[in-house]
Amino acid sequence: MIKNKRLSLLVTGFASMMVLAACGGANSDGAAEDVAADETAGGVLNVQVDVEVATMDPQMATDGTSFEVIANTIEGLYTLDESGVAVPSLAEKTDVSEDGLTYTFTLKDATWSNGTPVTADDFVYAWQRLADPDTASEYYYIMGIAGVVNADEISAGEKDPEELGVTAIDEKTLEVKLNHPVPFFESLMAFPSFFPMNQAFFEEAGENYGTSADTLIANGAFEITSYEPAATTIELEKNPDYFDAENVSLDGIKYQVIKDTQQAMLSYQNGDLDVVTLAGEQVDLFKDDPEFQTIQAGYLWYISPNTKVPGLENANLRKALGQAFDKEYIAETVLKDGSNAADYMIPEGLAVDPEGVDFRETTGTYLEFDPAAAQEALELAKEELGKDSFTFTMIIEDTESSINVAQVLKSQIEENLDGVTVEIEQMPKKTRLDRMNVGDYELALTRWGPDYADPMTYADMFLTDSGNNKGFWSNAKYDELVNSSLDGELSLDPEARWTALQEAESIILEDAGILPVYQKGNAVMVKSNVTGVDFHTVGVSRIVKNAVKE
Amino acid sequence: MDKPIEFLPNDFEFVKDADGAMIDEVYSGESFWKNILRRIVKNKGAVVGFFSIMIILILALIGPEISGYTYDQQISGHESMAPRIPGLEKLGIFDGTETLKTSTGEMEVNKYEQISGGEDVYHWFGTDVLGRDLFTRTWEGTRISLYIALVAVVVDVLIGMSYGMISGFYGGKVDMIMQRVMEILNGIPSLVVVTLLIIVLKPGLLSITIAIALTGWIGMSRIARASMLKLKQSEYVLAARTMGAKDFPIMYKEILPNIFSQLLIMSMFSIPSAIFTEAFLAFVGIGIPVPMASLGSLISENFKSLTTHFYMIVPPVIVLAVLMLSFNMLADGLRDALDPTLKEV
Amino acid sequence: MKKYIARRVLISFLTLLVIILILFILMQLLPGSPFNDERLTVEQQTMIMNKYGLNDPLPVQFFRYLQNMLVGDFGKSYTISKDTDVAILLQNRLPISLALGGISIVLGAAIGLFLGVFSALKHNTVWDSVSTFITVLGVSIPSYVFALGLSYYFGFQLKLFPMLFSPADGTNAYLLPAVALSMTVMATVGRFTRTEMLDVLNSDYIQLVESKGVSGPRLVITHAMRNASISILTVLGPLVVSLMTGSLVVEKIFSIPGIGQLMVQAIQSNDYNIIISLAFVYSALYIGVMLVVDILYGVLDPRIRLAKGGSNG
Repeated sequence: MIKNKRLSLLVTGFASMMVLAACGGANSDGAAEDVAADETAGGVLNVQVDVEVATMDPQMATDGTSFEVIANTIEGLYTLDESGVAVPSLAEKTDVSEDGLTYTFTLKDATWSNGTPVTADDFVYAWQRLADPDTASEYYYIMGIAGVVNADEISAGEKDPEELGVTAIDEKTLEVKLNHPVPFFESLMAFPSFFPMNQAFFEEAGENYGTSADTLIANGAFEITSYEPAATTIELEKNPDYFDAENVSLDGIKYQVIKDTQQAMLSYQNGDLDVVTLAGEQVDLFKDDPEFQTIQAGYLWYISPNTKVPGLENANLRKALGQAFDKEYIAETVLKDGSNAADYMIPEGLAVDPEGVDFRETTGTYLEFDPAAAQEALELAKEELGKDSFTFTMIIEDTESSINVAQVLKSQIEENLDGVTVEIEQMPKKTRLDRMNVGDYELALTRWGPDYADPMTYADMFLTDSGNNKGFWSNAKYDELVNSSLDGELSLDPEARWTALQEAESIILEDAGILPVYQKGNAVMVKSNVTGVDFHTVGVSRIVKNAVKE
Repeated sequence: MDKPIEFLPNDFEFVKDADGAMIDEVYSGESFWKNILRRIVKNKGAVVGFFSIMIILILALIGPEISGYTYDQQISGHESMAPRIPGLEKLGIFDGTETLKTSTGEMEVNKYEQISGGEDVYHWFGTDVLGRDLFTRTWEGTRISLYIALVAVVVDVLIGMSYGMISGFYGGKVDMIMQRVMEILNGIPSLVVVTLLIIVLKPGLLSITIAIALTGWIGMSRIARASMLKLKQSEYVLAARTMGAKDFPIMYKEILPNIFSQLLIMSMFSIPSAIFTEAFLAFVGIGIPVPMASLGSLISENFKSLTTHFYMIVPPVIVLAVLMLSFNMLADGLRDALDPTLKEV
Repeated sequence: MKKYIARRVLISFLTLLVIILILFILMQLLPGSPFNDERLTVEQQTMIMNKYGLNDPLPVQFFRYLQNMLVGDFGKSYTISKDTDVAILLQNRLPISLALGGISIVLGAAIGLFLGVFSALKHNTVWDSVSTFITVLGVSIPSYVFALGLSYYFGFQLKLFPMLFSPADGTNAYLLPAVALSMTVMATVGRFTRTEMLDVLNSDYIQLVESKGVSGPRLVITHAMRNASISILTVLGPLVVSLMTGSLVVEKIFSIPGIGQLMVQAIQSNDYNIIISLAFVYSALYIGVMLVVDILYGVLDPRIRLAKGGSNG
């Protein structure tokens, strides 16, 4: 039954992709048809979000909602197409040097909403600002991920932001120099942190940038007409000066913050909303609805065992824990929102190998639910450690899904492993992160979302010296493979790099360095008269600018 | 009301009867507590309130034991089952069927028929989304809520009463300082304090207890202080003092018995607010740690299924409402019986 | 009298200062930090903390905050609305919460007063029990259950009121949330009024008035209620604060951009300036209301003023 469900999911996914592809074709074929469609279509798309926009400043934004709204108003060099592949947006032409170290972008003719043209300087300004330690953006490390020359030195305060490896050759040509080849560089360009900013406008607005509709600038498909900090409703209107305006069908978008999911669903049924996200509890009521769909998201939820805690340094004990809970049950019965059991570290749908095959299809699965194997591993661990009973405290954040999942984990681990007790300690997310940062935990239910479409976004977290390696897991072979793929020899050979990353995944999971639980899914409803709402696992998770409302 | 005064035959019987009663009361040597008890029993509200609390207390004690399930037992396959009660099911109610108002039409389902061996399964209040028996959880949660009620009363009496009495008794600078401290504590919205405290202390039953203890006693200390101010000038206190009694014996032996009933009533009123504070914390997500349950956490947990599986939220809401109603009735009754002149402050 | 008021105002002001200090200390104890996103290294976190001056010694931070506050600068939000002046957030959201709170108080007090008086007049009858039952129910069911229920029936099924808050709907938008919120007020005022009225109705002076031939509505309104209302004033102060609990919940369900929701969100995400500012606003509101009630009380009932003066001396 479970298999069937998955299959049907796949089929719907495929079908919708086909539909979308067909739409795309029509768009590029005949502009005349589009104009006609525009007249009947148009309208305002009402979208629910569950949290307020934290900031409209692309270089300061860190959360999904902010990214989503920003991406409607500002275009970067690249954008994501319906299948999640980065495609050129403001970049007319991209030249990559043979060694993969220099990118030269030629920009399209586009204008900001204040009438000035979008120039290469806008990118230089934005990027330098992102890397500048004085800006103190929470996302400024991503410039280093992109491998841009001097990014790390600037962050460390050793060099001036002006020395960043990005230059405006002329008004329309942007040159970026990298320290080492970065295979996913183009996909990073679709990430809002790399979006341009009009210096004159931004500096004139100063501290007030993004505090009202008047202090926001746009070069994208929409302009904001109604906004205030932490607003519960945000209204956007089609931007007539957008370079691709003819392919924008909507007249506007209205974002509505609704935190209570039941209220959101009632509003959806009432016709006040076109796009809404469901909680697992409500799936029973809507799963047969043709408007219902589940979307795979990029987030991997896993248990991080702190290997400095007595007992958890033992790989057998970790393995026992990692195989003692039924992930399918958690995904299908507890979460119900389209989440999938994760017997892996690199999520499905994140990255494709040089041949275009998804990472998950090229490699195996690890730490499957297997109570017998778990109990066996536990017996070994008991022998090795000379102990018969273990009690661990698992820290979790106080969100509904975490609480429910943790209760199932506790119950199943205790049932399947004799002598193991799990205590749950729940706390706000900020507190959980703090506890993990200082290593003050035993087990932690935590998650990681990808920043870019490459296995490295997960793999580099568990390097011995990585700040994200909260559980202090360490493996020399793993470090060697990942470091070399990151900026060493392997980074130059895509095929070998891929194999190395596959091996790295098997090393960490066979040693149970982390215990994967599930890959997050989202249950959403989209009104049947709305098409073209794209969901992505990486970067901006929902793009509505291409949507058509009939 | 301008009627002329009429004399009725039974006007004259009154004196005789009252006389008889008076003799009984004065000479039977009835103790203070017996007297109070007699007056309470006369008050219908207090009696009803008292017995409902007792019934709930007994159910809370035996409920989790007789259900055949434990409060944290997750039975896979038993998720979200509607209530089914033996006996009543034959009448067509509580037979495990529920109507799902799906977006594609109403659907009647009976999960007991879908699972193997389901004919013999009974969940009297149904189960929650994780397949836990709600009957067991409701009474388990009642235990915690009653514990919180108990804490509220104890703290009220110990801290609030002592603080108020000391402040009132000594007066002057002591009173001045103690009142300022209280004003400050009172000035910070208690929810802010409680929420901050719980996060600082790590969420858990103990920190909830401490948070409630820290903020709950202020109302009580006010009453205690006011009563103390009233009584400390009275002749009998002066008498005790001239006979050489020290401050604390005066406070606790002479004055306390005279204001105790008022304070007891006041403490009854602090119970509902303590239970509610806990329920609020549960809503914010820093209530009792899972998988434990309180009435408040059950309500906020099952609230998420309100539009899907309505039956889940009903038992904790009803128990909470009945509990609150009973405490309020008992407190009202006590007040009427013990001190008809006391005003709620 | 003037001296008494001046003294009360001064004390209230000092109380507020101490409250801010206490909040500051609590904030230091709060685990976590606004900037501990998974993706930041320790050095980066320190750097961001430095940018906002969060690594300075507490006294420095405290006095800087006080100084800024005097000129209306409540600091910036760290996480909820990055780098936005908290003053702007307050400016946008406070009026909405105040309006909602105000409507709820008026609505709740009116119904509560009616139920209380009704109950007292029909003391020990079925009607008394019924209205007592209603008031107790009001405090026994959490306001979020009320709120969602109202929204379901009046918004979704009957479509009489908008389900989501929008300032464009005017009073209509406030109605459902205000009703949900007014339950506590209604219950508290109702119960208090009943006790108070019973007291007053049994008092000597009402019997005197009765014996003078006054009866019916005139007796109740001009004589009994007037006296009862003096003490009913006292419960309104604490009610302002209790509204805060409710408003948080109700704001969440109806998606109202008020300050209640902001508070809990801020506490959970360690957005210090928002926590302090909001707590300050609530404290100021509370202390302000208490001050007004106290003074009114003194004006209306000279006995109180005398007693207070005596006990404080």
